[in-house]
Amino acid sequence: MLEMFEYDFMQRAFIAGMIIATLASISGTFVVLRHYSMISETLAHSALVGVAVGLVAGFNPLWMAVLVAIISAWLIEYLRSEFSLYSDAVLAILLSGSLAIAVIIVSLGGAFNNSLFSYLFGSILSVSIEDVYTISIFGTIALTSLLLFSKELYFIAYDEEVAKVSGIKVRLLNFLLVSVVAVIIALSIRVVGSLLIGALMVIPTISALQFKVGFLKTIIISLVIALLSVGSGMTLSFYFSLPSGATIVLCVLTIFIVSLLINRK
Amino acid sequence: MKFKIPIFDIKNLNFSVKGQKVLSNISLEIFSSEYIAIIGPNGGGKTTLIRMLLGLEKPTSGEIKIFGKKLNDFKEWYKIGFVPQRASHVDSSFPATVLDIVKMGRSSQKTIFSSFGEQDRALVHDAMVKMDVLDLKDKMIGTLSGGQRQRVMIARALASKPEILILDEPNTGVDMASQKRFYALLRTLNQEEKITIVFITHDVGVIADDIARLFTINQKAIICNNPKQTLSCEEMSTLYGIDAHLLHNHKHEH
Ligand SMILES: Nc1ncnc2c1ncn2[C@@H]1O[C@H](COP(=O)(O)OP(=O)(O)O)[C@@H](O)[C@H]1O
Ligand SMILES: [Mg+2]
Repeated sequence: MLEMFEYDFMQRAFIAGMIIATLASISGTFVVLRHYSMISETLAHSALVGVAVGLVAGFNPLWMAVLVAIISAWLIEYLRSEFSLYSDAVLAILLSGSLAIAVIIVSLGGAFNNSLFSYLFGSILSVSIEDVYTISIFGTIALTSLLLFSKELYFIAYDEEVAKVSGIKVRLLNFLLVSVVAVIIALSIRVVGSLLIGALMVIPTISALQFKVGFLKTIIISLVIALLSVGSGMTLSFYFSLPSGATIVLCVLTIFIVSLLINRK
Repeated sequence: MKFKIPIFDIKNLNFSVKGQKVLSNISLEIFSSEYIAIIGPNGGGKTTLIRMLLGLEKPTSGEIKIFGKKLNDFKEWYKIGFVPQRASHVDSSFPATVLDIVKMGRSSQKTIFSSFGEQDRALVHDAMVKMDVLDLKDKMIGTLSGGQRQRVMIARALASKPEILILDEPNTGVDMASQKRFYALLRTLNQEEKITIVFITHDVGVIADDIARLFTINQKAIICNNPKQTLSCEEMSTLYGIDAHLLHNHKHEH
């Protein structure tokens, strides 16, 4: 067995990492096709507000992150469907606004800035066994709800109006998608960090799209890419003492460049 | 006709945007198994009218009934196959094979617990055969020609077993040979499958023999019940304005 698995914390981190890779890449395919990349970026920052509240008030930061991210997701989806005007500006405001609120809460509450820092960039050292349970349970629920409606969500991504006319509950499913994405992002920031999770959601799918294959194959390729990136990123970060989140993102970027090159015509 | 419930029943429909009238007092009925062509100048309100029929846009005033029900109460949307105006401009990087797209035609009738079954597979297969795209089924949608894409869009609509097909200028950017073939397919769907067709087009001359009625929409609607005498509908020419000579040309070709 590899040396890194002799450490309990590495085993926990690896399990959590693989679950997150699965969640982020599969939901990421819908995020990319739906042009929701900016929304996921914003949710990653809203989740930090939850983390801050958790750290200061002494609640489980991961649970609080999930809660705040979901509320933020609903707010975004509501604003987006009611006022289509300037929706990217609204996202930008929410993004920097949440980051500011998170930092202020933490500094007023006197919590260790270090803890918040570990949620910004991710830290495998800090993954506890409770975190692994939380990630597995919420992750399974989120992914199952996504997969149950994957056909409908795919249709909506392809053409929202035609989907609506054929009787698909577009509004409801848009809310479902953002909620699922919110949960997955909140779960992921412990390992990958809120500044870097967007990359793990979006880049595997963008790489898979280079292969120009159908829906199912695109999901499978992006899943494989995410698993490979997280696996190699964690291994490299262990042996070379590099920060885990950033190393994972560099691995996924490398795979992206490779897939661009091999699919170049 | 008198006792039959129309598929669409539109009464005194008005639509204005920012004080500008787009549709004015439109009343019309569309009956089962009809083949209707809708013509009119660009910006005349054809797309807007269709979007209101499908509940995508709310009218300023007026009433729309669909299969005898108010739009809000209507639930059987699978009975309607819709191919929008921009349908053939799919994003070429969208990860979909022809089969993926046609299967979408079944997805609205699935509950989360009923998986894609034998019957769905058969309907998807049938739709592809009818539109002659079966041998393209594993091709990526982005690599198809305009004419092929157009047939795939209709196959997707057909997979839900619709009673009515609504096509909004699906032939923009399609070459002449493919168009002829496309018109023949539509005629077959109407005559053999008894599918009601509402076809927004600029090519009314070519399909004049197939269609039952012709609507001209330019803010107001003028309904010609005998399209072969289209050009004797005087109001239509005035309504259609400069585009009217197009009709003459097509008549000659025919
Ligand atoms: N929701 C809307 N907002 C603004 N303008 C609209 C809206 N819906 C329709 N219009 C206007 O109505 C007119 C009719 O357009 P359209 O229905 O697309 O015509 P056609 O399909 O006959 O070319 C256009 O001038 C269009 O700009
Ligand atoms: Mg139009």
